[in-house]
Amino acid sequence: SNMKLIFIFSALIGASLCLETFVGHQVLRIKTKNEEEVKQLQLLESLEHLGLDFWINPSAPALPVDVRIPAASVQSVKAFLESQGIAYSILIEDLQDVLDKEKQDMAESAQRQRSSSSFDFGTYHTLDDINEELDHLASEYSFVEKIQIGESYEQRPLYALKFSTGGRNRPAIWLDAGIHSREWVTQASALWIANKIASDYGTDDSITSLLDKMDLFLLPVANPDGFVYTHTSNRMWRKTRSKIPGSVCVGVDPNRNWDAGFGGPGASNSPCSESYHGPSANSEVEVKSVVDFIKSHGNFKAFLTLHSYSQLLMYPYGYKCTRPDDYAELESLGRAAASSIRSLYGTTFQVGTICNTIYQASGGSIDWAYDNGIKYSFAFELRDTGRYGFLLPASQIIPAAQETWLGLKRIMEHVRDKSY
Amino acid sequence: RAMELPPSHFPAGRAAAVALGYLRYLRGGPGRGLQLRQLRRARRQDIEDAGHKYSLELELEDVLDKDRTVTCTAEVLYPLGSKSSAPEVQVTVQGELRSTQEADQDFYNRIRSLEKELVAENIPDSHGNVPPHLEPIHLLAWAASGYVIWQNSTENTEFHLAQVKHVKQVKRSDEDLQFDYVVLLHEMVSQEVIPWEVTVLWHPRRGARVSRDRRQPGH
Repeated sequence: SNMKLIFIFSALIGASLCLETFVGHQVLRIKTKNEEEVKQLQLLESLEHLGLDFWINPSAPALPVDVRIPAASVQSVKAFLESQGIAYSILIEDLQDVLDKEKQDMAESAQRQRSSSSFDFGTYHTLDDINEELDHLASEYSFVEKIQIGESYEQRPLYALKFSTGGRNRPAIWLDAGIHSREWVTQASALWIANKIASDYGTDDSITSLLDKMDLFLLPVANPDGFVYTHTSNRMWRKTRSKIPGSVCVGVDPNRNWDAGFGGPGASNSPCSESYHGPSANSEVEVKSVVDFIKSHGNFKAFLTLHSYSQLLMYPYGYKCTRPDDYAELESLGRAAASSIRSLYGTTFQVGTICNTIYQASGGSIDWAYDNGIKYSFAFELRDTGRYGFLLPASQIIPAAQETWLGLKRIMEHVRDKSY
Repeated sequence: RAMELPPSHFPAGRAAAVALGYLRYLRGGPGRGLQLRQLRRARRQDIEDAGHKYSLELELEDVLDKDRTVTCTAEVLYPLGSKSSAPEVQVTVQGELRSTQEADQDFYNRIRSLEKELVAENIPDSHGNVPPHLEPIHLLAWAASGYVIWQNSTENTEFHLAQVKHVKQVKRSDEDLQFDYVVLLHEMVSQEVIPWEVTVLWHPRRGARVSRDRRQPGH
């Protein structure tokens, strides 16, 4: 029978082709009855010129052998099997057909994804698109609700997502993004994070235990007027769009407008400046709305805010260069969070007080939160360190969001554990 | 007496940014973009009648060759007084940077063979995209803005290139390539974004030279 083998296949020696498609390729399932038949198949396996591709190799009589056979070898392999009385069935008649159909299915599925409410988190979106996605998340998850906490200067609603699995006024965590409108990776990351939390509740132990004990409020676009302006007019716009009495210049730096060392060093009193603190603390409705919401809620335990760029993880103070009372705990927690961030892609975040790490800056949001009893107040500056700066490539949105989420989660877990 | 500075604190970071700007100008170009991987160590010395001198140990990488890093020591001396003069910078690079000879020559030939002068704007665009054929133009702007950053930095500023707003090639009768850029520089402390006109001459062997630069009037 070995002679037979060699005779049948000798014609095919030297006919090894390097095929780019799988047209006419068949996949057979061979059922061997005994060791002798297994040996025959192993001999077949050794004939390289046949171009056989064993998906399951011949090893023992009880186990099926699956093999892909190039078109040119199909007839002769079948003839051999039949002559040896080895049973087989055809798993796949034409492999290329199967691959073509799969490709088509995938394209159709992608098409469906695009045309349905499935959101591409790896690209930058307009305000309208973002608001639509907030609606979608709220409608898809029973524990997610879209709330309006106020209105911007140009009367755009300030929409936040409330994540709550029950209770009445549970201890809560605040997370905002986009207070500086040109920092586009922050609004984009906030959306990814919202979706991550919503979809992982019930399956991820950490998120589940977090939301079973605490509520989360997420404001993905804290400065919608500025955000729209970055789309329509000036990609580098930072401030709000409020008119300043007596000035031709527009807008206040919303992160110099909080009532924490207001008007002190590190903020400008010039309306034309990018760090203009505004005529008075909370003069900006975008800031006042958040302040009023948090005060009337009364049970926030953490205040987290996203900025870009520089890769920093900071805690109070910015308005003064002295350490907060909880310095040791915040420094330690900050380092742990930075370590979590680094664990994913190696991205390093520097940790420290605002005043030490970036600059002295008065009227900032986390200083206000801390001085109002919210101990766990942190500000993140996301990717990168200056190569792209505010214009971070969209391809980095999801990696940035993923790593940032790990840092946020580390802090939230600590808050959860400390709140009980 | 030199004072040790925490690398995570901003004074060390600002001095490092100046050293990087200077180095990018000297060694950067259309085929090489140097950035800081890590600031390992920083010390500061106040020198009477001279200024503040920062001594730095840096780990750098080429954005086009991220598997490798080189160590670098730098000294940045910010001069005393209100007279605005550029910090004095000295840099020593230990180790080899990836060769850009081939890439530089390819870029040079490509630009020289263009029928119409190259014109482009918004690099990167709003979404952070840089078309591959404009990547060398972006890197050259990054190198050239290194000069502007070095020349205009103080202990109270930290500049980064935010965007190439506009670039126009100017054909020359000599062998240099010339690009007239308008770049946006982001100054971190004031948070201002400042348009700056920069004219760069570049040649594969002679490297980049800024022949003219000015802060755009009215800004």
